[in-house]
Amino acid sequence: MNILHEFEYFKPKSKKEALELVKSKGSSAKVLAGGTDLIIQMKEKMIKTDAIIDISDLEELKGIKCEEGKGAEILACTKLVDIEFNADLKKKYPALTYAVSQLGSNQVRVMATMGGNCCHSSPAAETPAPLSALGAKVVLASLEGERELAIEDFIHGNRKNALKEGEILYKFILPEPVKKSACRYGHIGLRNAMEIDCANMAVNVELEEDKATIKNVKLVMGSVSIKPLVSEAVPKVLVGKKLTDELIATTGEAAQSEAKPISDVRASAEYRKDVIGALARRLVKEAYEAAKEA
Amino acid sequence: MKKQIIKLDINNQIYEVMVSPTDLLVDVIRKQIGLTGTKKGCGQGDCGACTVLIDGKAQLSCLMLAIASEGKKITTIEGIANQETGELHPLQQSFLDHGAVQCGFCSPGMILSSKALIDENPQPTEEEIKHALEGNLCRCTGYVLILEAVESYVEALSKGEV
Amino acid sequence: MGKMYEVSNKYNNYKEYEREFTEVGRSIPRLDGPAKVTGKVQYTDDLVLPRMAYGKILRSPHAHANIKSIDYNEALKLDGVLAVITGEDCPIPYGIVPHNANEHALAVGKVRNWGEGVAAVAALDEATAEKALELIKVEYEVLEAIVDPRESVKRDDLRIHENHPNNIAYEGTQVYGDPEKALAESDYIIEKEFYSSYVNHGFIETQSAISDFDPNTGKLHMYATCQVPHYTHQQLAKVLEMPMNKIRITVPLIGGGFGGKGVASQADFCSALLSRKIGKPVKITYERSEVFATNNGRHPCYMKFKMGFDKDGKITAVDFNNLMDGGAYSGWGIVVLFYTASMVHIPYMVPNVKFDGKRVFTNKPTCGAHRGLGGVQPRFAMEQMLDEAAEHFGMSPYAIRKLNAVESGYTAKSMMYVPHSEYKKCLDEAVEKSGFLEKQGKLPYGKGIGISGGYYISGTSYTLYLSYKPHTVATIKIDEENGVTLFCGATDIGQGVDTVMAQMAAETLGVKTEDVKVIPRDTEISTFDLGTFASRLTFATGWAIRQAAEKINAELFPVAASILKCRGDEIAVKDGYFYSIYEREGKKGRNREVLWTDVVTMYIESNGPLTCSGQFTPPRRKGIQQGGNIGHSPTFGFSAQVAEVDIDLETGKVNVVKITEAGDCGQPINPMSVEGQVHGSIQMGLGQALYEEMQIAPDGRFLNPSLHDYKMPTIRDMPKIDANIVEAYDPSAPYGGKESGEGPIQPTAPAIFNAVYDAIGVRFTEMPLTPEKVLNAIKAQKAK
Repeated sequence: MNILHEFEYFKPKSKKEALELVKSKGSSAKVLAGGTDLIIQMKEKMIKTDAIIDISDLEELKGIKCEEGKGAEILACTKLVDIEFNADLKKKYPALTYAVSQLGSNQVRVMATMGGNCCHSSPAAETPAPLSALGAKVVLASLEGERELAIEDFIHGNRKNALKEGEILYKFILPEPVKKSACRYGHIGLRNAMEIDCANMAVNVELEEDKATIKNVKLVMGSVSIKPLVSEAVPKVLVGKKLTDELIATTGEAAQSEAKPISDVRASAEYRKDVIGALARRLVKEAYEAAKEA
Repeated sequence: MKKQIIKLDINNQIYEVMVSPTDLLVDVIRKQIGLTGTKKGCGQGDCGACTVLIDGKAQLSCLMLAIASEGKKITTIEGIANQETGELHPLQQSFLDHGAVQCGFCSPGMILSSKALIDENPQPTEEEIKHALEGNLCRCTGYVLILEAVESYVEALSKGEV
Repeated sequence: MGKMYEVSNKYNNYKEYEREFTEVGRSIPRLDGPAKVTGKVQYTDDLVLPRMAYGKILRSPHAHANIKSIDYNEALKLDGVLAVITGEDCPIPYGIVPHNANEHALAVGKVRNWGEGVAAVAALDEATAEKALELIKVEYEVLEAIVDPRESVKRDDLRIHENHPNNIAYEGTQVYGDPEKALAESDYIIEKEFYSSYVNHGFIETQSAISDFDPNTGKLHMYATCQVPHYTHQQLAKVLEMPMNKIRITVPLIGGGFGGKGVASQADFCSALLSRKIGKPVKITYERSEVFATNNGRHPCYMKFKMGFDKDGKITAVDFNNLMDGGAYSGWGIVVLFYTASMVHIPYMVPNVKFDGKRVFTNKPTCGAHRGLGGVQPRFAMEQMLDEAAEHFGMSPYAIRKLNAVESGYTAKSMMYVPHSEYKKCLDEAVEKSGFLEKQGKLPYGKGIGISGGYYISGTSYTLYLSYKPHTVATIKIDEENGVTLFCGATDIGQGVDTVMAQMAAETLGVKTEDVKVIPRDTEISTFDLGTFASRLTFATGWAIRQAAEKINAELFPVAASILKCRGDEIAVKDGYFYSIYEREGKKGRNREVLWTDVVTMYIESNGPLTCSGQFTPPRRKGIQQGGNIGHSPTFGFSAQVAEVDIDLETGKVNVVKITEAGDCGQPINPMSVEGQVHGSIQMGLGQALYEEMQIAPDGRFLNPSLHDYKMPTIRDMPKIDANIVEAYDPSAPYGGKESGEGPIQPTAPAIFNAVYDAIGVRFTEMPLTPEKVLNAIKAQKAK
C-alpha cells in the first residue's frame, strides 16, 4: 500500500504556531518531524490522521548546545546526522553519538530526529537507552508552558508516551558527565547495518577516586521490554566493588534475569536474553575501562 | 483534499506542480515532472533506490511529502552530469569504468549517496564510504565494484585529476 | 559435434577458429551503462503511454480459503474506476511448464497462499485504484493452512489441489548403477539430513507490466519486466484466447531478475485483461510485498543423503531423498525437482546414484526458479559431507575434492557429458590464493576456513514444451546507414548480455563492439530466443551470432578479395578492415587492406541488402531416465570458493571475513562482467547462508514481506572478495566461453558452513545460520 489517506497539511512557521496547531488539532493530528517512521505507518494504514503538523524545518526546534561543564541541550527536531557528527557531543557523549550512528541508514539519519525516535516510542528504538543511561531529561512544551521528565518516565512503551494533547517534545537535557564516569552503547542485530535491533544496551559507569571501585552504574536495556528497562540488579552487583571477571559474569546474569523480551521475526526471547548477557559483560567492561581514563 | 500549486527546485529548474498533501516526492518527481531516474524499490525507506539530494544531503523521496520539499534544493540523478555539455560527472564515469553498474536500478541512488558523502567529506575512509552507502541495497554487484568505483573517484579527486 | 555447431562459411572452414581475440575478452563497460548512470534508462515502470490507466490487485489476507463471493459494485461506483476483474475473467490456467498449468491470473474459487490475487481494478490513477480495492468485499471460507511439506504430504484429507493426492505435485525416482550394492560395499558411509531455506530473489525493481490492447485491430502490445518473453507470450495467448501473432511483448531494461522474472506475472495477465476490457493501456506495478506474495524463489528442501566412499576416499554412491516445498502452485517446480537430481552427478564422479524426490504443495507463495536453481540445495549438503568424509579419512578437504573431481570429457552416469572442465584448476587456485592448506584446522577457536566447489549448466538441452525448433536465432543486418544491427530475443536482465552479444558479433565481423547495435528484445522485432534462464545465453546466442556473422563474412569476403586481389580464403577481418592473412603489414602499412565499410558499400551496391541469421539448438543425449534430460547442457562452468569466518562466540554472529573464488567460465567474453557476476553470486549465497528467510506463520501469514525484515546483505555485510578467473578455453563453446552467473553461487553457503565447522567444530545442516543457532551450539558445547 503506497497511498496515504487524505489529511490536511500544516507547516507552522514558529514554535508558538506549532503549539497552537497541536492544541487546536488535538488527537486528530500527527506531528511530522522526520517522517521516517510516520510515513511508513501511514502507508501501511497503521495510522490514519486528519492532519499533519510538519515541524521538520522549524529552526527554533533545532540545535545543539554542548559547552564544557554545562552538559548539553539537544532540541528535539535536530536531525540525527547533526548529532552523529557533532564533535563536542561525540567527545562528551560517545555512547549517544554512536547509538545515533547505528540507527537506520545514512538517509534515515539525515531525515529523522532524536525527538521522533523517542516519540515513536518503539521498544526497539536506539536512542532511549543511552539517553536514559546518561540521565537525560526531556522537556515537553505546550502553550501552557513547559515540563520536565526523565526519559524513562516519558516513554511508556509500545508507541505510547507521556505526551498530552497540545504538547510536543521540545528538547533533551543531558547532564554533564560526572568525573571518572563513562558510558558505552552496544546493539545486536542480524546484519551489520539497517537493522532493527534485536537488543541494545547502554551502560554508564562512575568510579570512586581510586579509579577502581564502582561508585554508580546505570545499565539500560532496549528491545527487551515494552520500554527501556533500567536494571535494578546490576547496581546491586557492582556498586562498591572493583570489577573482576567473576563480577562481569555475574553482571551478565543479573541483566539477563531482568530482561523480559518477546519472540518475533527478528529473534527469539531466549536469544535476546543471551545477547543481553553478552552486551552487559562487554559494555560494563568497556565503560569501566573508559571511566578509569575519564 | 485540497490540491495546491507548489514550486519545486529540482536540478536548478523551478517546476510548478499541483499536488495533494498526500503526494510523495518520489511520485511527483517520477510522474509529474518525468524525471524517472529516481527509482522506487520498496516504498518503505529500506532500499535507497529513491534517494535524492535535498540541500545536498541524501534523503529518501519515498518517505518525503512533496509539499514539504518546497523551498529546498533537490538534486536527482539527472542533475549531476554537466548540464551544458552532458559530460558525465566523474563519479558516474567511475561507476561505468569499474563495472559498478549491472542492472542499474540501484545506481542512481548509489551514485547520489556517494556524491553527498564526498561533497561533504572529500577524503572518506573505506569505513566512511560503507557507512554512507549502507542504506542503498544492491542485489547484482555484491557492492565490491561499487566500493572500488567510489574509492577510485576519491583518489582521483585527491590527486586533482578530476 | 552436431549439425548446429557447423558454420556455413565455405571460405575458412579449413582453419582452426582463431583464439587471438580483439573484442572477446575485453572488459568493456556495458553499452547501456551511460544511460543507467544518468537515469535515462527506461525500465517498465518509467514508461507512460497516452491514455494510460493504472491497475492494482487485491490480495488475499488468508493462506487457504474458499472464495464464497466477491462484491465489487461499490468499487465500480467510485469516480475514476474503469473496470474490475476477478477469477471469472480468467478461467484458463497457465504455467511456465504447460502440462502442469494450474495458476490463474486471479484466484478461481479458492486462494492457496497469503497474498494471492483475487480481484484487480483499473482506474484513472493509482490512488483511485487503491481506494477501489478497499471497497471490494470478498467473503472467504477460511480453511486450515499447511505450511510444512512434511505435514502436507501426510494430509490427503486436506488437499490444496483436488487432483493431487497427498499434496504431491510431482515425484520421481532415478537409479543409475547399483547404489544399494555400492553403498553396502562402501568403506565409509555418511548419512545426514539437511534443510535449505525459503528465500526470495530480492531484485530491486519490482515487477511491472503495461498492456495496450487496441480494440480496432484486436492486437495487444505489452511492455513487461520479463526474463522469458517467449514463454510469457505463449501463456498470454492461452489465457487471453488470442493467437500469438496478435500479441507483442516488448521488454524494456530489467532491474534484476535472478529467475524471479522467469515466469509470467499476475501483473502481465491482469493488465492485459483490464486493457482489453477498457480499451486503454493499463499499467500495474508491484509493491514490494507483492514481490514476496508472488515469490517464485528458491525451493526449500528437506534432504536426506547417504554418501558412500571407498577406502581411498573415492565416492562410491549417493542416495538422495529430496522433499521439496513447492508452495501453492506448480511454476517451474518439476524442472527444479529434477535439477536437484541432476546436480548430484557433477562436479564429482559418482558411479552409482539413487534419487527419490517429491515436490509438495503447501499454502505458501509458490517457489520457482532462482539463481543456480536446483544446485544450491544439494551442493549445500554434499559439500559438507565431503568435508566430513575428508576428516574421516584424514585427508584435506582439498585433496578429497581433487580426488573426485571431474575432468574434460567425463560422461556422468546420467549421460551428462562434460566437454570441458578446469574444475581441478579452480580448486588449486582457490586453495593457493587463500592459503587454505596453511590455515585449515590450525586457526584459533572461533576462526575458521572452509572450501567448497560447484558447477552449473550453460543452457538446457530441452524446451519446456515439445518442440524441435532452434532455441536461439540471431539475425545480423548490415547496411550503410546503421552499420551492424543485431537482433536477438535474448533478455538483458542486468547481467549484461546485450554487451556480450555485441562483443561476440563484433569479434567475428571484425568491427568494434561499440559499433554494434543490439535491438532490445521484442517478440515482434527480435528473432526467436527462449529466454534468460539456465545461464544459456553466452553459449547459445554465441553460436547463433557466430553463425550469422560467418554467413555475413562469407558474403563480404569475396568482395574484399576481389578488391585486394587475393583469394577469398586468404581474407580476414579485424578492427574494421579486411586484409589478406599473408600480406598484412604493420598498422601503418595497410597496403593490402580495405575498409570494412567500403566493402559493405560495394556489396550492397552490387548485391542489395545483407542480412543473415544464425541459430543454435543444443545437442540431445540418449539413455536417460525419467526427468533425466533435465540438467543436460552443452557444457558446464565450474568454481571453487574458500570462505574465512570469524565468529563472535558470545553472540553467535558469523562474520565472513573473506571469500576467495576461482572460476572456470572458459574464455571470459567480458572479464569485468564475469567478475560482477561472481561478486553478485557470492552476495546472494551469503545472504541465504546467514540472513535471509521468508517467514511464514503456522496459519500461512507472511511475517516479513518487506526489505527491513527480509534481510539482504548490505554493503557492510560483504566480506573481502578475491575473484579469480582460471585460464580456460572451452573448444565446444563458440568463443570458448561458458556460464559464469549461476555457478559461483553454488559453493558460497557450503564454504561458509565448512568454515564454521573449522572454527567451532560444529556441523550445521540448516540454513540460514542465524547467530541464535550458532550460540546455542556453542552453549551446548560448553555444557558438555
